[in-house]
Amino acid sequence: MTSPLSTTAGFSRRGFLGLAAAAATVPLLAACGGGSSTANSGGTVKFWDMPWAAPAYNDAAKKIVDAYVPTGSNLKASYQTIQWNNFYQTFSSAIASKTGPAVSTGGGFQAFQFEQQGQIAYADKVVEALKSNGMYDDFLPGVLEPFKTDKGYVAIPWQLDMRVMWYRSSLFEKAGVAVPTDWPSLLEAGKALKNIGAVGFAIGAGAGNFLGNHASIMMMVNNGGGVFNKDGELDVMNDRNVEAVEFLLELVSNGIIDPAAVSYTSDNLNAQWKDSKAGYGMFTAGLPGRIGDTTGELLVADPLTGPHGDKASIMFPNNIMMYKNTPSQESSEAFLVDYLGKLKDLWQQKLVTSLPVFKSITELPEFASDPNNVKIVKEWQPISKNFAAQGSTLNAGLAVLDGGQAINQFTQTILTGKTDAKSALQAFKTGLESTIKK
Amino acid sequence: MSTTTTKSGLARARQGLAPGGPGGGAPNRKSKLSAQTRRTFFWLLLPSIVLLILINGYPLIYAGVQATHDGSLIETGNFVGVDNFASVVASEAFWKAARFTLLFTIVGVFGSWAVGLGLALLLRTKIPAGGLFKVLLLLPWVVPIVVSSTAWNWLVGTPDSLIPAMFRNLGLGTPLFLADPTLAAITVMVFKVWVSFPFMMMMTSAALASVDGTVYEAASMDGASRWQQFSQITLPLTARSTYISWILMTIFCVNDFPTIYLLTGGGPVDATTSLVVLAYRTVFQDFQTGPGVAIAFLMTITLVVVSVLLYRQIRKSSVE
Repeated sequence: MTSPLSTTAGFSRRGFLGLAAAAATVPLLAACGGGSSTANSGGTVKFWDMPWAAPAYNDAAKKIVDAYVPTGSNLKASYQTIQWNNFYQTFSSAIASKTGPAVSTGGGFQAFQFEQQGQIAYADKVVEALKSNGMYDDFLPGVLEPFKTDKGYVAIPWQLDMRVMWYRSSLFEKAGVAVPTDWPSLLEAGKALKNIGAVGFAIGAGAGNFLGNHASIMMMVNNGGGVFNKDGELDVMNDRNVEAVEFLLELVSNGIIDPAAVSYTSDNLNAQWKDSKAGYGMFTAGLPGRIGDTTGELLVADPLTGPHGDKASIMFPNNIMMYKNTPSQESSEAFLVDYLGKLKDLWQQKLVTSLPVFKSITELPEFASDPNNVKIVKEWQPISKNFAAQGSTLNAGLAVLDGGQAINQFTQTILTGKTDAKSALQAFKTGLESTIKK
Repeated sequence: MSTTTTKSGLARARQGLAPGGPGGGAPNRKSKLSAQTRRTFFWLLLPSIVLLILINGYPLIYAGVQATHDGSLIETGNFVGVDNFASVVASEAFWKAARFTLLFTIVGVFGSWAVGLGLALLLRTKIPAGGLFKVLLLLPWVVPIVVSSTAWNWLVGTPDSLIPAMFRNLGLGTPLFLADPTLAAITVMVFKVWVSFPFMMMMTSAALASVDGTVYEAASMDGASRWQQFSQITLPLTARSTYISWILMTIFCVNDFPTIYLLTGGGPVDATTSLVVLAYRTVFQDFQTGPGVAIAFLMTITLVVVSVLLYRQIRKSSVE
């Protein structure tokens, strides 16, 4: 009896095996071949953008890119939305395989991370072009300088992600207390709000919620402290930081900070604001729009004055960066200059809730008609510092500070209240020293 | 005479043999393949083997390179030998995460097995709408983890959530299920058991279905109690399937990222940080690729050892 495998009518075993081997080889060869080509060889400037707001934002941004008409021999541009989920991995993989963008938005300190790895094309020529067309003078004060390094401009800012204090007016009326203007009045107001069942300092540090971390840093900066000194070196254990953490612990021990805040996700925190449970707390610009509140009761508070007279907050200058992997550097630069000039469309359509970097956009009626926006521009932006405070220049280490384990553990330790200021700061310092590359 | 009959009855039952069955077991004849057929099989399998090596081997080798270098996701960096492994093993965070992973795995495996076994036995009895219950009980496994973690957060996340509110109304205080480190760890483990028991239930149901009902009848006639039937028949006859499900669930638990990360993010204060969460955070939040991949490597080695031990147990139970 012959094995069915040994002979087949008109189709030999050898032939079958050859075909199988060939079939297996084709995808392998195709996969190997992919590595030799670059995605930017298609003759367009690939622009990757993040979902900065509702999907309508990305639709509008895509329209701007699609409508871009390059001059001279410059290339056209294409638009792609990249999700925040695992975005650093997405960018890293694409850059490593030479399939990344030529121009992109992204994480606040992403440009510095990729600059450290030699992947960023400096934007000095873009800055020169902005000087020529008058847009350079239109920047709000102090927003462009942090991007200047010894080698050149690492990126160009396009919006400011502010951290400001908000309050719900109806809860303050109910509690019969004034809106805080300094730390003692914050403590007093917090106790009064707690008495009516409201939260006096609404923050959260649960899964994926970074506002608690930002609030910790904000209070340090508000007290004239910060994670870095003026020379950009780690300076965690300074007296101002200790004082700020002690104050936060006082807020915790008095129940002014929600005892469950340590586990609050963004959804939990948003629900507190939406459900009129949060009386006062730190949030980004555009809080009412983000949580869908139309009561008109959510208002931007005055900046707090620290116990030593300091008045400061923090902001994240989100930026647009260019990469070395581009079909044409001139085309990347021409596209970026054109795109920056059209940013006002996004604010005119009220698609972006953060602060623009150009004065002319802050004066648009669509933006200036919101008194909260005006207050942020006039009172908060001028006193806001970036995460590098008390230093000023941004760097790759800030990405580790912003999203790393050290700051999250630091904030969560404070919010559980089971620590003292110096121990919390010491652990924070140790964590940062082991992760931030010198 | 009667005692001998009972013993032999239970002994036969343990082997899954009905009374009056052949008792000799299935013939175990090794068919001898010709050299030519064996060569044919080899060449037929070769493309798949090559693909498997490329698909699994390449990432493993590249991960090995990353674990022994100080680079990033883009650059390989400098060779540092076993420094990354040494620094990981020397860190307190690693051992804290390892302890939580061990506890999470033990509770996840045996908790879900116990619940799954119980429900499988319950569903074996004739209850009204048993099929519907079976489908409903599968839901925790079927529903995407993002949805179930959101639902659980809604149930326990804040002091005003449903379950803390119930405790409060019963005068039991307001437990902060996700804010208290101990309660958060317990909540995550209970969540894992809730998500996983349908898998165990299905595995056990399948194993129970293969047990001949007459075995229980014979044991019953021999005077075996319910407990004896369970411990002397059900457990031994489903042992093979149980060990397989334990291996799989051990792998699921050790590698489980979303259950923990979506519910607590590893907090509060690292109370629910498992090794896989620590590896993720080390690579993608602290941007330390080498140490992060080293953690993943150590996890893999541990999993392989545990799997081999359990697999040996399967073979042992097969022989018995």
